[in-house]
Amino acid sequence: MSVEDEMKEIIAGIVHVDKSLLSRTGTFKDMKADSLDIVQAMVAIEDKYDIEIPDEEAQKFQNFGDFVDFVEKRIAEKGNA
Amino acid sequence: MPKTNEIIRIAVDAMGGDNAPDEIIKGAILAAQRKENIEISLVGPIDILEKKWGDLGSPDNLAIRFVNSKDYITESDSPVSVIRNKSESSIAVATKLVRKGEVDAVIGAGYSGAVAVSAIQYVGMLEGMERPAIIASLSSFAHNTLLLDSGANVDCKPHQLLSFGIVGSICAKSLFGIPNPTVALLSTGAESSKGNDAIREAYTLFQNSNLNFIGSVEGSDILGGLANVVICDGYTGNILLKFYESIAGYARIWVKHKLSRHPILKSTVDPIFHKLFPMARKSYESEDEVSGILWGIDGIIRIAHGASYASHINHAIMSARNAVQADIVGSLRSELVKYKTEGKL
Repeated sequence: MSVEDEMKEIIAGIVHVDKSLLSRTGTFKDMKADSLDIVQAMVAIEDKYDIEIPDEEAQKFQNFGDFVDFVEKRIAEKGNA
Repeated sequence: MPKTNEIIRIAVDAMGGDNAPDEIIKGAILAAQRKENIEISLVGPIDILEKKWGDLGSPDNLAIRFVNSKDYITESDSPVSVIRNKSESSIAVATKLVRKGEVDAVIGAGYSGAVAVSAIQYVGMLEGMERPAIIASLSSFAHNTLLLDSGANVDCKPHQLLSFGIVGSICAKSLFGIPNPTVALLSTGAESSKGNDAIREAYTLFQNSNLNFIGSVEGSDILGGLANVVICDGYTGNILLKFYESIAGYARIWVKHKLSRHPILKSTVDPIFHKLFPMARKSYESEDEVSGILWGIDGIIRIAHGASYASHINHAIMSARNAVQADIVGSLRSELVKYKTEGKL
């Protein structure tokens, strides 16, 4: 399963939406996620990949695609470390 | 299973509340002095706890221990900060003790949102519940009436409101002995087209549930006891509850003012109001056993009033002890499983 699919599964489980509703251009707002949903999703993804997502970076995400790209980049950096 | 003879272990966030830590620690001491099979864990930065304990004369032979936390929540922190950058705060540490099985219940008088988020993140929800709700009993005026959510969630999704309806119905059955409690949504009119988006969407969900849904009620219907369970989001519920709690106090002042030329009659007002309306005193001192509990959490987390003094903390500890002994979480879990099995949740 790709990182994107894994992230979809995690987020859909936390926000209680069908993961097919998540597209790269979609946002948490589209899913009617509240602030707790968003933080829980970030923490779950940090735990899953053992990475850190600083708040200041998270605030730059325009959509789910940006989130996926950031996580993939951090995973790659960790692998190269 | 109810726990009747076991020692009940209760964690208290020593740093939460307007009068923390002094009044919280004093409240814990009051509860421990009752020697009623309670063991209290005061959670906060150990240096602060030890200094305050010394200031209070270091009382000994009490079943109180200190649990260290690196940090604590302040009013300027957002509720979700307990997950991100304050995960070692006193309320976070206290709720983690429940998950570890080291305590049976937690008392938090700090920022309610932060207590709720801590409970969700570190204790977890019961199957079928997505968000906890705080139940308020409006028993002084509205006989057999519960209001929820009265403050745990500012915004609620339609299906979350439905889950509150189920919890409210289960509690009303148990508390009032009513076999099929009436449930209503709080709205701006009885019609299904009234209300905000969440209420209108929830209306359909409630109609299709097996709850004894009687439609929407307006604010003016609540005290008449039209519904046993009144459902709204925590923003609306909290405003409504605080207004409700203030009614008797202001009514007492108004009546005394009107009787100012009749001193004998005037002298009867206070005793009458105190007898008839316990909430004419500080309401959180006379809260019943359902109030303040975060219903839907897989453990007993009790929110105490932010302005609590020692006596209120003592009361909250005893109330949490009773909730543990009655195994209210186990009862709710069993009922939710039944709803789930029957496809109602």
